[in-house]
Amino acid sequence: MLQILQDILMGLWETSGMYALLDDPKKLIMILISFVFMYLAIVKEYEPLLLLPISFGMFLSNLPAVLPEDLMFHAEFWNEAQSSEWFWKVLHDGGLLDKLYLGVKLQIYPCLIFLGIGTMTDFGPLIANPKSFLLGAAAQGGIFFTFLAASMMGMSAAECGSIAIIGGADGPTSIYVSSKLLDGANSNLSTGTIALAAYTYMALVPVIQPFWMKLLTTKKERAIKMPNLRTPSKTEKIIFPIVVTLVVALLVPSAGALVGMLMFGNILKESGVCDRLVDTAQNALMNIVTIFLGISVGATTTAGNVLNLDFAKVMILGVVAFSLGTCCGLFLAKIMNWVTGGKINPLIGSAGVSAVPMAARISQKVGAQTDPTNFLLMHAMGPNVAGVIGSAVAAGVLLSVIAY
Amino acid sequence: MNHIITAHNLAMLAGGSISGDKKPLDPSEQGGVTLAGLGIVIAGLLILVLVIFLFGKLFDAIGAAQKAKEAAKVAEKTPKPVPAPVKAEPAPAPAVIAPAEDEDEVIAVISAVVAMMSEADGTTYRVKSVRPAAGFSGRAAWAMDGRRNNVSPF
Repeated sequence: MLQILQDILMGLWETSGMYALLDDPKKLIMILISFVFMYLAIVKEYEPLLLLPISFGMFLSNLPAVLPEDLMFHAEFWNEAQSSEWFWKVLHDGGLLDKLYLGVKLQIYPCLIFLGIGTMTDFGPLIANPKSFLLGAAAQGGIFFTFLAASMMGMSAAECGSIAIIGGADGPTSIYVSSKLLDGANSNLSTGTIALAAYTYMALVPVIQPFWMKLLTTKKERAIKMPNLRTPSKTEKIIFPIVVTLVVALLVPSAGALVGMLMFGNILKESGVCDRLVDTAQNALMNIVTIFLGISVGATTTAGNVLNLDFAKVMILGVVAFSLGTCCGLFLAKIMNWVTGGKINPLIGSAGVSAVPMAARISQKVGAQTDPTNFLLMHAMGPNVAGVIGSAVAAGVLLSVIAY
Repeated sequence: MNHIITAHNLAMLAGGSISGDKKPLDPSEQGGVTLAGLGIVIAGLLILVLVIFLFGKLFDAIGAAQKAKEAAKVAEKTPKPVPAPVKAEPAPAPAVIAPAEDEDEVIAVISAVVAMMSEADGTTYRVKSVRPAAGFSGRAAWAMDGRRNNVSPF
């Protein structure tokens, strides 16, 4: 009888979470990391709307379970090439977070986020000053120069493209590209690690950008005041999304989904006749997608995906990409300032990366530090929203060039 | 020769010719993607600059034409004023010197505050002049305040 009791207790112990945790201590490390992120989100309020869902997803997916069917997220599913059988397996055997992650893998969430961003974006400053498009294009240099750097390190095309897109400083675009290019069979990287790096650097915009802005501009350049912009008419604002979608779709069809949804959101807003839809897209829909995106991306940060050298490479190349994007924008703005005889403040160039509206606010802040009466916010919003379009086009180019 | 970027290599890139498989890229592919990628993005956005610029010009022209039409209509409807005899009077010295922008609202607020002060201490005050302080940036005070409100978190 004692033997039976001992067997039962041993059986219970060996199927318990505690046994699994001691069996794989890396999970414990990941759980502790998730606690740090939760602390940063709740106490320090660092991007809490994203960081809290991501950190809780990280916590949930690293909870120990002995039986595979008890797991909420199966990292091994996402390291297999996609096929119709694979989809069946995810739907049949997957946990809750696996099923939510399908929205990332099938590029549904990034496009819906772009729809919401479209309803919140005013392209007026860009329409008023179309030259801003050039700054939005220049800042994408960060993406392609990082592609070059990553490929020189011996990485595959899919890995280079997925890491390089972090330079666009656009979370949804990074998820869109990496979820298409990386299929588990061609890389050790996952969409989750790319998304984590992208969102980390987006949160660090106020830390990374001012350093390069002050380094690459003179005090005299930072003090340049720019003339007020004209106010575009309502008709112009309505025609703009149609024209941009048409031009981008004709030139780079792979960027059609992202740009199309962004511009769909924008025409809903500018038309002024779909207030209810605009309200839903920019509030309820955006919040729901953010919750699903955050928790499912967080779930991919399992010990196997994060505690390795590849993740360190992503983080290092990510900051390189981001810094290069900022510098390329600043350089072009300096050239434009020189060509126009001192009419363009180079600080607006760094806003060409598409972290909206954070990058434009940083241009305003750094400009105001030099001269408190200098208001660059609206001038920087032009390159900033152009950066969103630019990074979507760059994403389309990468997807056209690299077979997936 | 294999490692030199050729027009043929660049053309091949457009069709998704670079394999996503786990193998390093050769130098021609590395340079090709970088050049072609940046080139296409800049070209695409240059086209947008041109299109949006032309649209802007078109709408400005339409707006100007409409304004001119409206002005012409108003001019037609308004009866021509009969010139009244004007006495040559010396212009009174302005009590308030406003800056270049319209500062009527600022002056109204200042006057209201002064009126409240006169109620409080029983003395009558008169606003004779409102001048910008030295180092004034030339922007309307309300515009400055509004902009400060918008950017205050930074």
